[in-house]
Amino acid sequence: MSDPVSEKVLAILASVKRIPRDKISIDTPLQALGIDSLDTIVLLSELEKAFRIAISDDDARSVRSVRDVVEEVRKLAGNVSVDSTAPAA
Amino acid sequence: MTARRVVVTGLGVICALGHNLAEVWCALRAGRSGIGPIRSLDVSNLRFQNGAEVREYDTGKHFGSNRADLLDRFAQFAVIAAREAVGDSGVTLTPELREKTAVVSGSCVGGQSTQDAGFVELYRQERGRVHPLTIPRIMANAGASHISVEFGTTGPAFTISTACSSANHAIGQAFRMVRSGEVDLAIAGGSEAPFSMGLLKAWEAIRVIAPDTCRPFSRDRRGMILGEGGAMLVLEPLERAEARGARIYGEIVGLGMSSDAGHITQPSVEGPARAMRAALRDAQLHPEQVGYINAHGTGTPGNDPTETRAIREVFGAHADRLAVSSTKSMHGHALGAAGALEAVATVMALHQGLLPPTANFIEPDPECDLDIITHRARAAQVECALSNSFAFGGLNAVLALRTHLR
Repeated sequence: MSDPVSEKVLAILASVKRIPRDKISIDTPLQALGIDSLDTIVLLSELEKAFRIAISDDDARSVRSVRDVVEEVRKLAGNVSVDSTAPAA
Repeated sequence: MTARRVVVTGLGVICALGHNLAEVWCALRAGRSGIGPIRSLDVSNLRFQNGAEVREYDTGKHFGSNRADLLDRFAQFAVIAAREAVGDSGVTLTPELREKTAVVSGSCVGGQSTQDAGFVELYRQERGRVHPLTIPRIMANAGASHISVEFGTTGPAFTISTACSSANHAIGQAFRMVRSGEVDLAIAGGSEAPFSMGLLKAWEAIRVIAPDTCRPFSRDRRGMILGEGGAMLVLEPLERAEARGARIYGEIVGLGMSSDAGHITQPSVEGPARAMRAALRDAQLHPEQVGYINAHGTGTPGNDPTETRAIREVFGAHADRLAVSSTKSMHGHALGAAGALEAVATVMALHQGLLPPTANFIEPDPECDLDIITHRARAAQVECALSNSFAFGGLNAVLALRTHLR
């Protein structure tokens, strides 16, 4: 599931929590990355800025895994064109 | 000196439910919520639109223009509540008593609207200067200072800022000063006026404000609703109150405090439980003597189940025999004033034998399986009550109160 949206989300997540990018996979529960509710709010705020989107409080409360976050962003930002040959960062 | 019994002889309050005790109690007993669309600011760029504002408030009715220049809205609420409380108590402030009177106020955010206006002048309008009275208006102790000036009281006066527990910590310190004999009278409570755009944006960012209304302990609760106002209590030793024939609303019998020492925003079960136990111990009460808890009950998904578990841990089987409500559903969450508004509600509940309800409740939540009083007040003469306040930062303060029997 390597596409610009998920790559950008994972890169922002790695930066927000100061975790090596290669420790994060799409199916990792946020909790397993040491991300609690407050970290989630900070992460979603960074994603709102980066993708120019607005995530509702109810949606913000429902995300549990990296995949949930990516899908939430994709739902709101739409899917940007994917260069499938680009290597995962 | 032996510990003295401490009674409440005066109450004063201004909040979204009314401008005085009679109006506020009338709304509380009717289960009428003061939550509605925020009018003092344009909130079209916020994710939430509702608050519990003091409506039809006219500064000029309460303060001359020279005095008003010095007072941010939050300090005005403190003084207005104190005036009503002192008047209500009927106490005569002799020169001797003034020296032995304490003023302890709670405030979480101080003069927010003044600060916001200053920032607008500085950063947006680029005026290069702010109003010269900005500092005395925004200081969190302005409420306590202006109350002491108003009544000429020269005893200990200070302000406690422990977020949502501020007023309970404040009332608790005043209670202990009266109990120990350090002072013979105390004016204690809290005030807050958090409706400034900068602060509302900060609350929006932390995602705990409900987009609809405050529904504590209800399954479909979606968060808290900010409120504003002030509430003050006059505390004095039982002997002095009886000697002057004062009306006694109730007795404060204990204060329990604790720190979660854990997460900065997520509540714990253990911290609040330890504060409730400490309050019972301080008051020398058995859990079975408590018939009502005015809960912290913010209406957030996180607080209410955690508070439920804490109550169950402290009270065991008795948790099913005590009534619980959150009056934040009506007066909103007034941050540093919250504990004071709730102390007024709790004292009145004991005095009137009528427990205020939780408004806006829709359906029970299995995770909040307590005896929640919903919609309408419940007639019940309970012996003792607790009033809970648990703050961001994990700082907990619980007051224990007892019905005063003549």
